[in-house]
Amino acid sequence: MDFHLSEDQQALVDAVQAILRDHADLPQAERLSYAWHDPALQALLAENGFLDAARSMGPLEAALVAFETARSLRSIEAMGSGLVAPMALPDRMVEGPVALAAERDLGRAIRNLTVARTLLVDCGEDSIVLPVDPGAVEQVASILGYPYGRFARAPDPASGQRIAGGGALLRQWWRTGIATEIAGAARAAIDFTIDHVTQRQVFGRAVGSFQAVQHRLVQRHGHARSTCYLAMRAAWSARAGDADIAVCHALLGIQPLLFDLHQFNGGMGVTTEHSLHFWTYRIRALQAEAGGLAGAALDIADRRWPAVEGANG
Amino acid sequence: MSTILAELQALDPFRAEVRDWLARNLPADWRARMTGAAEEDHVAFQKFWFRKLMEPGYAAPHWPREWGGGGLSFAEQIVLYEEIARAGAPRLILYFIALHHVPGTLLHWGTEEQRRRHLPAILAGDEIWCQGFSEPGAGSDLASLRTRAERRGDHFVVNGQKTWSSNAHLARYCLLLARTDPAAAKTKGISYFILDLRTPGVSLRPIRQMTGASHFNEIFLDDVVIPAENLIGPEHGGWAVAQSTLSSERGLSVLELAERMREGFKLLTAAARAPSPAGRMPIEDDEIRRRMVDVRLRIEALRLLVNNQLSGVLRGEAAGVEPSIIKLYYSELLRDFTELGVAIGGIEAQYLEAVLMGGANETGYWMQDYLYSWAWTISGGSSEIQRTIIAERGLKLPREPRAA
Repeated sequence: MDFHLSEDQQALVDAVQAILRDHADLPQAERLSYAWHDPALQALLAENGFLDAARSMGPLEAALVAFETARSLRSIEAMGSGLVAPMALPDRMVEGPVALAAERDLGRAIRNLTVARTLLVDCGEDSIVLPVDPGAVEQVASILGYPYGRFARAPDPASGQRIAGGGALLRQWWRTGIATEIAGAARAAIDFTIDHVTQRQVFGRAVGSFQAVQHRLVQRHGHARSTCYLAMRAAWSARAGDADIAVCHALLGIQPLLFDLHQFNGGMGVTTEHSLHFWTYRIRALQAEAGGLAGAALDIADRRWPAVEGANG
Repeated sequence: MSTILAELQALDPFRAEVRDWLARNLPADWRARMTGAAEEDHVAFQKFWFRKLMEPGYAAPHWPREWGGGGLSFAEQIVLYEEIARAGAPRLILYFIALHHVPGTLLHWGTEEQRRRHLPAILAGDEIWCQGFSEPGAGSDLASLRTRAERRGDHFVVNGQKTWSSNAHLARYCLLLARTDPAAAKTKGISYFILDLRTPGVSLRPIRQMTGASHFNEIFLDDVVIPAENLIGPEHGGWAVAQSTLSSERGLSVLELAERMREGFKLLTAAARAPSPAGRMPIEDDEIRRRMVDVRLRIEALRLLVNNQLSGVLRGEAAGVEPSIIKLYYSELLRDFTELGVAIGGIEAQYLEAVLMGGANETGYWMQDYLYSWAWTISGGSSEIQRTIIAERGLKLPREPRAA
């Protein structure tokens, strides 16, 4: 594949960007918060069909929407409802927003659960579709850049609709979604930092004119760009192996990305008054959700070289 | 479906043709023959393989047919390079400058006479060329070069020193940059010449690398006379000519390297399965497994970066900073890849072995591969220079103040 958008894809991206530009700022009261989900913006994107792109156009287009929404300061649930649900459940419609969880984590805090109407559960071999009763969800205070919620009482998986053999497909698209959102948030955080180091002057020069800053930003940019390409390829090819590669590559670069971006934003970079944390905390959340770098890499290694015999590199 | 894929899929019959040709013509024992080969055998084999590849037009696929090249479309060239890499065929390293830089320069800037004199001879396999750009005081900062060419009527007299000239000891001609107007600004007073290395006053000194090999040479130029008809492009206008030389590859060389690296990964997995003296296989170690995954993922990412550049070329777009991004990515990945080979190889990877001549950058002789990988973060514009190019031209960061 290449990464030149078709006319339809470009029109889709332009339209999403136009809406997001109109909703670029946070309300004054939310500027110092850790995450702000905007239900009106979520509804606007859904009503205008952007979250149906997977069914109407294809998974690559859904990933493009998720990438763009991940760049927004406002938390938008596009990964679950726009990409994962339609691809993991091709024969059924579910009500969005959609949260995602592994069965073992049903008693823990779950990303987007406070805004979700549906929860997709990874049960290993199978998957389960669980309607979410908002009254059964408690908000969890978190720094992680998304709304988090916990069931007041862990739901009974048997109360949901079990999709026999659906676990692998759910995990595949979940991984693709995580890689896509990390790529989008990383892009936004890098753009934000480039803007900062271009404006901010020290010793009579822009911070970004120092090679010590330039070169590290280039490294982070190169990694974010290749993560984006891998995520888009995973959406386009719909291959599980590509999803594994995309998410693991995304995780590989997170530690230096987060450190450098906060470092280059100086003292303001370690406050909540500077917006950077909206994206970087989001990336941390996704890193944890993907199982962490060691876990993701070893998962791939186990699948690629399951036993010492028989692997082909 | 994307344009590039559609074009490549339409070329499946051509791909099968290339694959079949390689299966029939690539000597099965070439690796064994070229491992530890003497230099004269290496040169003879490079010439043999070059001429063999010329038969179906595969040695110079990018050259126009009117000059004896394959005249293949860019998409066909992509397929050809992929197949050559996947077959593990020898790299035509002795002909690299002759096949890429010479036509990229002469077809754009050369005279008809220069083209007629050299292009057919190159495709006959008779002419090996080298590059005389870098100097002891002008590497990544090429425009600082000081080799002097003084015009004296119908010829120039050249004095100076060049360095890092790959395979100059095997070459007949050199693409030479020299300063013809020392009073002009750095990039304004440079001219570009064809230098016959058999001219009196030219002497070479091989540079012994830390791998033990001697690919590079210093070239000393003492009152060397170059006829004025060997000037390429306008006098004092050599900097623009050099840009044509350096932009002549359009991503196909790195495509081949990326594909070869994908194949080379099999050597790494094989090494990781070889039991250590203690009986454990490195692949059983989680740290090794993680690092193998890291390298494998980055090989995939590299190929996507390359694809993106190639599809840009197919659309006729200017390359921008993509070549710098890819060069940076490739060279760091090669270093980490081969370092992992060394780690997997343990003490066994430290002993001197015979080198495969004309092979990929991943040969399985890990210490040699690793040490050679260090050259990749320096040659062709160091990683630091590439990062500055990307920062200033790609990310549009403020330029560093220029030295007064």
